[in-house]
This record gives sequence, structure tokens and C-alpha cells, in this order.
Amino acid sequence: MHLADHVTDVQLNEYLDNETAERAEIEMHLSSCDECAARLSTLQNVFTELDSLPELALTKSLSEASPWDAAPFTPRPSLPAQLPKFLTLTAILQTAFAIVAAVIAAPFMASLLPILEMPSFATMFINLQSQWVALLDQLSTFHFQPVTFNLPTLEMTSLLFTLAGVSVLWILGNGLLLRNQR
Amino acid sequence: MTTPTDRDLILQARRGNAESFGELVTRYQTGVFNVCYRMLHERGEAEDLAQESFIRAYDRIHTFDIEREFGPWIRRVAANLCLNHLEGQRGATELDDERDADPTQRPESVVELKERSEQIHAALASLPAHYRVVIELRHYQELSYEEIAEELKIPLSDVKSHLFRARKFLAEKLHAPG
Repeated sequence: MHLADHVTDVQLNEYLDNETAERAEIEMHLSSCDECAARLSTLQNVFTELDSLPELALTKSLSEASPWDAAPFTPRPSLPAQLPKFLTLTAILQTAFAIVAAVIAAPFMASLLPILEMPSFATMFINLQSQWVALLDQLSTFHFQPVTFNLPTLEMTSLLFTLAGVSVLWILGNGLLLRNQR
Repeated sequence: MTTPTDRDLILQARRGNAESFGELVTRYQTGVFNVCYRMLHERGEAEDLAQESFIRAYDRIHTFDIEREFGPWIRRVAANLCLNHLEGQRGATELDDERDADPTQRPESVVELKERSEQIHAALASLPAHYRVVIELRHYQELSYEEIAEELKIPLSDVKSHLFRARKFLAEKLHAPG
């Protein structure tokens, strides 16, 4: 600060609180500026008044008729602030495995799941009724025919392998978790 | 027989010794009550909040850092509790002349010093809650600016401005002519 500048109110507060690095400069200014010295004096009076407050006495002791006095004190087991490192690591690994497996499985699931559309209730009812009628018609003229299945080969196998892999990783993860907890 | 330290009493309380916690209450109850009285300026409320502060401490005795000093900690708990209490009240920041009607301090029976103390308490009570708490933490609990900021979770600049405004307000209240 410049010597010519008046000391700000915040600086005066910092000065009295011993929270300033400009102590020498402020003192030098105060010695030559009556206005700032008067403001300091007013502020000092507030400090003096606050410091003069006597301690009041209680009318009753707080240690009587209190929960720790009336009820039997049962110590509560302290909980750890956070999980141990190895448990956190296991949980992270398990989550990572599950995410990777979900990413691998997502395209297969998408190709297998039909696109869901919700028709109105009336349309659904009419469709259901017409299907029921058609089924009854088919049953009335039923002739046994050989049925051939075209199973997807690669996709289905990959999906099954992925699901099996996820299950194994999940079980392994849980196993590690339970073993660490013992 | 030597007097047990606060640390001894806390350890005994943790082991289930209720009397040890009662001894801690006896040691610090006046200080805690005075924190509450400076913040609330109403004896009944101050006693209730002081009691509540010790109940909080009792609940947290197992997680209390044994390396810290119990006295300053419980006084800060009380200050925060009173701040929350005041902020939960509507219109509590304005001075209510009825609040300081302390039956033990009737104007006709008190000496000049007590009257002045009462004026200071009344001036404190007329401050908004967030100004009152910085005055409490700085003047009576002697926390640094940084410690106050940390305790109240507010920026350092707010601590400075709250202190400056609070003291300016107190100066006007306490040194007003007539």
C-alpha cells in the first residue's frame, strides 16, 4: 500500500486481527493520519466491548437428567470411513468386467430383440381376435408337415459364450469379495 | 489421585462409562452455554442448544479425533448448531426487545456493568446470523480467518467482509449517542 492512501476498513480489521502482511506500512500510515487513527480507535472499542463480556452462569447443570445420565451408554461400533483398498479394487474390477461384457453382448442382444411398438388397445384386441380366428381356421384344416429349424450358428454361439463368460467373471468377482470380507 | 484428562474421559466414555462423559459435560457446559447465549440471547434456548450440542458430541464420541482438543471442538459444534437454529427461524435476525428479558438481570437490579453487558448481548443478537457466528468464532473462539472459512465452508473473502460489516454494525449500535 502507498503511504498516502487511507487504510481501508478491511485492512483495519485485518490489522487488529493480526491477519495482515502489511503491518509496518499500516502502522506508518496510522502514525501520520488522524482520520484513519480515529477509525482504528472506534474499531478497537468494539473489540474491547466484546472482550469485556463476562461468562454467564448456568441455572442448572447440563450433566444432570441427560441422555448419558439416564440411559445406559452402549458404545457403538465405529464404522470404517471408507472401504478397504482391496475391496474397492475388487469392486472396480468387477464393474469393469461387467461393462466390457455388456458392451460385447449389446450387438447380439440388439439383433435378437424385436423392435417394440405399442399399438392401441383396440388394435391389439382386433389383431388378437383375427389371429384367434385364423388359428381356429388353421386347426380346422390341419395337416402335419415336417418342420425345419434354421438356427443362427455364429451369432448365437458367440452370445452364449459371452453370457457364460460374464457369469464366470461375476462368480469369480463375488468369490473374491466374499473371501476378502472374511 | 490425578485428575483425568479430557482424552482419558473420552476413552472411558467410548468404553461405555457414562459418568466420564458427564464429567466432560461438567467441565465444558458453562463455555458451551455462553457460546449459545451470545448467539441466541435467550437463556432457555441457549440452555437447550447447549444440551443439544453435548448430545451431538455424545453421538459422535466414537468418531471424534482423539488428538483434537475437546473444548474448542464442542464450542464450534455449539456455534454451528446455533447458526443452523437461527437460519431455521424466520425473522430471527432482527432484534426482539422481549428476548433479553432475563429474569436474573432486571434493569432495576443490575449494576452498570451488567447493563453494558446486556447492551452488548442485545447488539450481538441484532446481527444477522451469519455475522453473529463469525464474531463468535473470531472473538470468543479465536479462530483464524482461514479456520473460520473452513468451519463455515465459506470463502475467505466472505469471512473478511462479514467481520468488517458485523463490527461496523456493532460500533454503530454500541457507540450511538443517546
